[in-house]
Amino acid sequence: MSQQLPGAPEGEAENSASTGLLEFEEQTEVGELYLKALMRRQGRLSLGVALVFIGFLLVQPMLAWWWPGWGALRIFGIPVSWLVLGVASYPLLIWLGSIYVRRAEEVDDEFTDLLS
Amino acid sequence: MTSSTAAVLGLVAMAVVSLGAGLFARRWARTTSDFMVAARAVPPRVNAAAISGEYLSAASFLGIAGLVMQFGYDVLWYPVCYAGGYLLLLLFIAGPLRRFGAYTIPDFAEGRFDSPRFRRLAVILVLIIGFFYALPQMKAAGLTVQTASGLPYGVGIGIVAVVVVAGVVGGGMRGITFVQSLQFAVKLFAISVPAFLLLIHFSGTGVPFARGAGGLERLTTTTRFQVTPGELWQIPGNTEAHVAHPTSFGWQKQKTAASTGAPSAGFEGGTSPTVTVNHSHDHLRRLEGAGQLPRGAITWRSTDTVTIVRGQPAPFGSETPASTTASWIAPFGPLAGGTGHPLLFTYSLILAILLGTIGLPHILVRFYTNPDAKASRRTALLVLVLLGSFYIWPPVLGALGRSYDPSLYGTNLTDAVVLILPSQLGAGWLGQILSAVVAAGAFAAFSSTLSGLLVSLGGALGHDVYGRWLRPSAGPTARRRAFQLSALGAGLAAAALGLLVEQFDISVLVGWAFAIAASSFFPLLVLGIWWRRLTTLGASVGVALGGGIATCSIITTMVATVSSPLAAFLAQHSSLAVILAQPAIVTVPLAFGCMVGISLLRPTPPAGVSAKMVQLHAPELLGLRREYIPD
Repeated sequence: MSQQLPGAPEGEAENSASTGLLEFEEQTEVGELYLKALMRRQGRLSLGVALVFIGFLLVQPMLAWWWPGWGALRIFGIPVSWLVLGVASYPLLIWLGSIYVRRAEEVDDEFTDLLS
Repeated sequence: MTSSTAAVLGLVAMAVVSLGAGLFARRWARTTSDFMVAARAVPPRVNAAAISGEYLSAASFLGIAGLVMQFGYDVLWYPVCYAGGYLLLLLFIAGPLRRFGAYTIPDFAEGRFDSPRFRRLAVILVLIIGFFYALPQMKAAGLTVQTASGLPYGVGIGIVAVVVVAGVVGGGMRGITFVQSLQFAVKLFAISVPAFLLLIHFSGTGVPFARGAGGLERLTTTTRFQVTPGELWQIPGNTEAHVAHPTSFGWQKQKTAASTGAPSAGFEGGTSPTVTVNHSHDHLRRLEGAGQLPRGAITWRSTDTVTIVRGQPAPFGSETPASTTASWIAPFGPLAGGTGHPLLFTYSLILAILLGTIGLPHILVRFYTNPDAKASRRTALLVLVLLGSFYIWPPVLGALGRSYDPSLYGTNLTDAVVLILPSQLGAGWLGQILSAVVAAGAFAAFSSTLSGLLVSLGGALGHDVYGRWLRPSAGPTARRRAFQLSALGAGLAAAALGLLVEQFDISVLVGWAFAIAASSFFPLLVLGIWWRRLTTLGASVGVALGGGIATCSIITTMVATVSSPLAAFLAQHSSLAVILAQPAIVTVPLAFGCMVGISLLRPTPPAGVSAKMVQLHAPELLGLRREYIPD
């Protein structure tokens, strides 16, 4: 897609091309830098959100291992360990997911603005 | 095993609706694009419901509740990680993969690395994982029809195979999108409403947590158990039993593990018999009319009907290790605790399920039906909402099952607890309606997942094996025909294999499919998308080693259930047994290590990797896009 010959029919990309976009299309060093910056921002965002959830999961077996009282803790007769894992996980997932979607769209939009 | 007309009606209604909707949608499915990606005309909400509908398989609808009933707390990792896997998919895969325009994992493998050979490797793994995942769905089909109607196991599989194959072959992706979104609604309704009503009926949320520590589950109804020679029971406390004929059994006192009641709780899902009985040390006992079953492990020596009256301790069959309610509630109970290495087991289980979701072959296809990466991410977020609202419920039904129908432990029917529990509401209309609803939900569960798998397997066979290797010159009509024939063939093969897995636990096979996916496709996708230096050699070796070793260790575990020398060897090396049964904790890092190590040692990244990174990560508005399957 990036190897269009000179004189070949122009695609949509060329119509809206600006300098930034051209750099990007032709994979110049500057275009590479743009791309690396974008990937770094998106990657860091994804990794950060993922680590929050994975940490939430991985800490629970440790908690049960080092503190046997964890399994015995109750609220309204229901073990807290069941509520944290079996109920609270889902709102947490949805919350993390919505934060991510909003931030990822912002990053994409900023990048698009920068280039065009 | 209640024969309930209402349940049969529920099944038939769901089958007719699924088939009818699929065939109705057929009028839209004309082009290959319609068949494969539903022409991208599916709105995100419908698409999200269809993805959830496809993802919530029999393992989610029936299996989780059954496993919670068997093993308690440790099983909660399953639903949470099934849903959590979707978060990872949203974070790392959904957007870039949609932009890349890869329709399947093999498409990605070839597109990213320009290697048709690597594509073949990926196709083989898609077929392995797809079939592993199809088998438990077939088992669920047989079990559901059997529980509802009393028809033999094989008949259920046959009926479901016909309905599902007809839907896929007739309507393709566009047809099943419509059906699957409908099926999600049915499943959510069928799991939440009965759970909610049963909670009210049994008055109070503290159940069975209200039991005193060390309490035994007692039968809620007088139950007749059919026993056969060689059948193993664990008796958690001295139990009065009545027998029809003079009957004998061998008895072994429980060993040191008596307090937790879990001698050697086996592998994920616990299919392996958990009590090893040395017949020479059995104390032979005889029952005439009535008598006492002493606490410990017993082996029946004759065929008989054993009646145990209400209020006596519930016996445990060979599939569930006997456990006190306290150990069932606590972390590291009979499932993880029984392995001897609870932390290792738990972490490996979390890894397999969390990471395996991304590598399941039928999941990614769906994201390609989105028009762009933004819609793809939003769809994934909606899926998280839908999955979360579903997964809260199955553990509730499992926990209620422990208190209100513990006879299922003795009959080894815990997998059917979702289907059977509503009849506890009595023979009135409410119990009847709920039985019909859960039967319809179960049908929706296995048929929607099977549909998705058949589209993937049909795609891999028709699109890849036929359209690329055998006849690359085939036109669109021939390709569509090939897709339909492949889906038909895959459906028949899965049904035939499904007949063989009756004795395996639903969630065991599913867990294995996840472990293989986590050790092969997960590292491939994550590194392939986010690390530009990944080389073709590194990726191929990683996928082959990770997927291959995971498959081999799982097959070893399967063989151990029928080979006693191997089982004895594994019993002596319990950490090895844990790793073989749940290999993800070793094979996932191994696959990552291979990919990174080989790529760094022999740095020959595929040509044009920058262009591919642009395609994966550049926002669509820049207009740098190319479709794999044109509209």
